[in-house]
Amino acid sequence: MNFEWPWQYNFPPFFTLQPNVDTRQKQLAAWCSLVLSYCRHRRIYTLDVMEAQESPMFNHKKIERKLSVEAIQIVFEELRKKGNLEWIDKSKTRCLIMWRQPEEWGKLIYQWVSRNGMINSVFTLYELSNGEDTENEEFHGLEECMLLRSLQALQVESKAEIITMDEGKGVKFF
Amino acid sequence: MHRRGVGAGAIAKKKLAEAKYKERGTVLAEDQIIQMSKQLETFKTHLEEFASKHKQEIRKNSQFRVQFQEMCATIGVDPLASGKGFWSEMLGVGDFYYELGVQIIEVCLALKHRNGGLITLDELHQRVLKGRGKFAQDVSQDDLVRAIKKLKAMGNGFGMIPVGGSYLVQSVPAELNMDHTVVLQLAEVKHIMRSEVRWEPEHLLKEGLAWLDTQAYGDPQYWLPALFSELSARDITPDEASQMVP
Repeated sequence: MNFEWPWQYNFPPFFTLQPNVDTRQKQLAAWCSLVLSYCRHRRIYTLDVMEAQESPMFNHKKIERKLSVEAIQIVFEELRKKGNLEWIDKSKTRCLIMWRQPEEWGKLIYQWVSRNGMINSVFTLYELSNGEDTENEEFHGLEECMLLRSLQALQVESKAEIITMDEGKGVKFF
Repeated sequence: MHRRGVGAGAIAKKKLAEAKYKERGTVLAEDQIIQMSKQLETFKTHLEEFASKHKQEIRKNSQFRVQFQEMCATIGVDPLASGKGFWSEMLGVGDFYYELGVQIIEVCLALKHRNGGLITLDELHQRVLKGRGKFAQDVSQDDLVRAIKKLKAMGNGFGMIPVGGSYLVQSVPAELNMDHTVVLQLAEVKHIMRSEVRWEPEHLLKEGLAWLDTQAYGDPQYWLPALFSELSARDITPDEASQMVP
């Protein structure tokens, strides 16, 4: 299904950081919304700042406009403040885009586990995100970073425990 | 010696003559009144027939409405003069424009955050039609202009700025001074080049009517969302979709 770009996407000044404070507020709100819907639509869980510059999201080739790196950083900071973004590294080159909160993902995963009577079983992360059994679930294909964050959320609620195994990480549900 | 003319009889005769004249006068007036009543009755019936026959037409057909309005103007009748007037009650024309005025206000309010309270008549027309749905009455730009004039007269802060053969509808009394108005009249294109006219765009930026674009060729440009016609979201074309494949 085609992604529906908001009207601002075709409006050239949208890609220039606005000097007027009120207009800028509207602009940033629209950018946050665009980033979240685009990432949700394409099931993008992480973003690399340098790569993002070339993504159609920030670079609209047709109208020859793109958001500058500085502006992208500002948009990311807005998203972080709203709780929709987390930096993966200290140098802020890569981030988690949370168009769905880790707690919500955790809930979906736990529901699947309990529905299938698999409490107390151990899963590898791979099994959860890429296993045959989860093919029809929304969390199928969830990137490892995001999956871990979601399981951490469950861990806090004592509903899961992340364990380190030979082949990598795994999780047990309670 | 006989004296004629003045006598009880003469006075009586005179009185009788006067009375007869008076009576005839009354009778005449009565005649006329009866005639006029009959005519009015006929007129009223004709009018009622006209009203019921054309009420649907007037509500449905914008062209008919224009002609009707013009006809009213020539006989010195303003169907919109008062909500409770004979014409507006008879034909429901007043209601139509009142409702339309409300719709216009709704559209302008909904878009104010985006265009600062300035919208082209074309876009207003499109959105009003959209809001009325498939089975609603036809609304022309003439109707919109009349409704806006009504709103303006009621002091709703509405105004119309002529631009390139049409109008910009202003729903917020922003301080658009003469210079800007002149520029807008000159601007047939969707964006305004700073180098073309000597004026200060800072004001438009401050009012939230314009956005800055620094990525154009040459000087920075200023775009008015109100003049930007592609405001509605659309599907991306297959070409664009292929560009997006990672």
